[in-house]
Amino acid sequence: MSGKTNDRIRALNVPQRVKVELDAEGLPKTAGEITVEAVLETWRIDDEWWRQPISRRCFDGVLEGGRHVVLFEDLTTGEWWIQKP
Amino acid sequence: MARKSYLTSDSAACCWIPQFALRSETARRPELVSHPVALIAPDDTRRVWQLSSLARRAGVKPGMTVSQAIGVCPALKLCEPDPVHYDGEFSRLLAALSPVSPVIEPAELGRGFVGTDGLEGIYGTPEKIVEEIKCGVRNAECGIEAALRIGWGKGKFVSWVAASRAKPGQAIIVRPGEEGKFLASQPISVLPLDLDTHRRLRQLGLKTLGALAALPEEAVASQFGATGRRLWLLAAGRVSEPVVGRVAPEPIVAALAFFSPVAGRELLEMALDRLIERALKDPRRIGWRVQAVRACAGLEQGASWLAAVTLKEPTADRDRIAAPLKTQLERSPPAGAVERLVVEFTAFVPGTEELQLFARDATSAARAARRHALQGAAREIKLRVKRSFLYHIIEVQPWSRLPERRYALIDYEP
Repeated sequence: MSGKTNDRIRALNVPQRVKVELDAEGLPKTAGEITVEAVLETWRIDDEWWRQPISRRCFDGVLEGGRHVVLFEDLTTGEWWIQKP
Repeated sequence: MARKSYLTSDSAACCWIPQFALRSETARRPELVSHPVALIAPDDTRRVWQLSSLARRAGVKPGMTVSQAIGVCPALKLCEPDPVHYDGEFSRLLAALSPVSPVIEPAELGRGFVGTDGLEGIYGTPEKIVEEIKCGVRNAECGIEAALRIGWGKGKFVSWVAASRAKPGQAIIVRPGEEGKFLASQPISVLPLDLDTHRRLRQLGLKTLGALAALPEEAVASQFGATGRRLWLLAAGRVSEPVVGRVAPEPIVAALAFFSPVAGRELLEMALDRLIERALKDPRRIGWRVQAVRACAGLEQGASWLAAVTLKEPTADRDRIAAPLKTQLERSPPAGAVERLVVEFTAFVPGTEELQLFARDATSAARAARRHALQGAAREIKLRVKRSFLYHIIEVQPWSRLPERRYALIDYEP
């Protein structure tokens, strides 16, 4: 009797890479090809310094058409990402 | 799938490698050998467990807190325990002995018995049987065979006492008829005693098995009860427990990899439930109840965690199987965040089907009907798209500041 069942937990709301243009104040102006109509809030996350350090500059934004998203810059790589709030 | 214990042997060879866990650790990390080393206790990460001779010489004692141990020996190298590795090494060692004898009985980590009845016809004298056993252990290539001590004699107790008196790499053979003489000179500490009984025996001036066996059996039994009678019988060499070989169970294994290391007990408990459910659904489990289960976790930075349970009442009920594992999870949690969790059913007894045939009441009957309908729908989806796309959404770390850590999908099979 031998059997092995492998299971996996899949993360939900995994961030997606996105190209972001910034305005003169350093706030996101476009995400991909879509205009960022409003930036509602900004904050910073620094976490898990003991493991794989996470350092993000986050923007709570509303895209053209009304979609509510979080845009963040990974401060360790300089890459931009988008995900649901 | 035979799971009965039916192979026994009156004559036994006890194979013992003291400090098995520490030796396994230093065998895979040879750079530790020249340092004082302490292995942290798997069930209490604040205390040290097994110690190298250099650490002992420096004054460190088993059971000391980590801070006390470092205070006594600042150069002490502390090692996180990796019980899964030690268990695997020990299983490998036992497996390497199976060509020597079909009767193998593990006793504890680093100690096992080999049944030797009938081996004289194959290998010859006890000395030659012992050589075969040593050869089998060498074949396991655990890197710690030099520490092996072997005791040969009638029954498990005599062979264990002989192994405990043997020097590393050597064997003591107690020939038939010499058991009483051999045991008489042994200290009472070789008996399976609790601390209180040991203290009382010492207070009575009893230091050797011979002194204990010289007392009338009834007098010992009246002082110490049934335990005393058993101790007297062992000391006098009047009982001989055979080695009982067990057909090695082929386990059912279910594993789960986390997308980020998990430290929260709630999620680990939920994952245990999920894995037990998975393993219970294995078609090879049907008709059998689970008797022994173990949960292993791979931790960050290479350490591991292990909980093994033998159920008093074998069962096929998820919650009953999970309960003792969860208790161990609470009492001695993993020393770090868990990257991978595995549940293994390692022993079974024949099941009873009548309990599963009828739902006990209308509510559970309705629930069973809904589940049946769901199973039918899930099967149909799987037939059409070749795999199941049904998932549960589960809370992982709903408080996390990282949105992708809050919820996750897990395969759903109704």
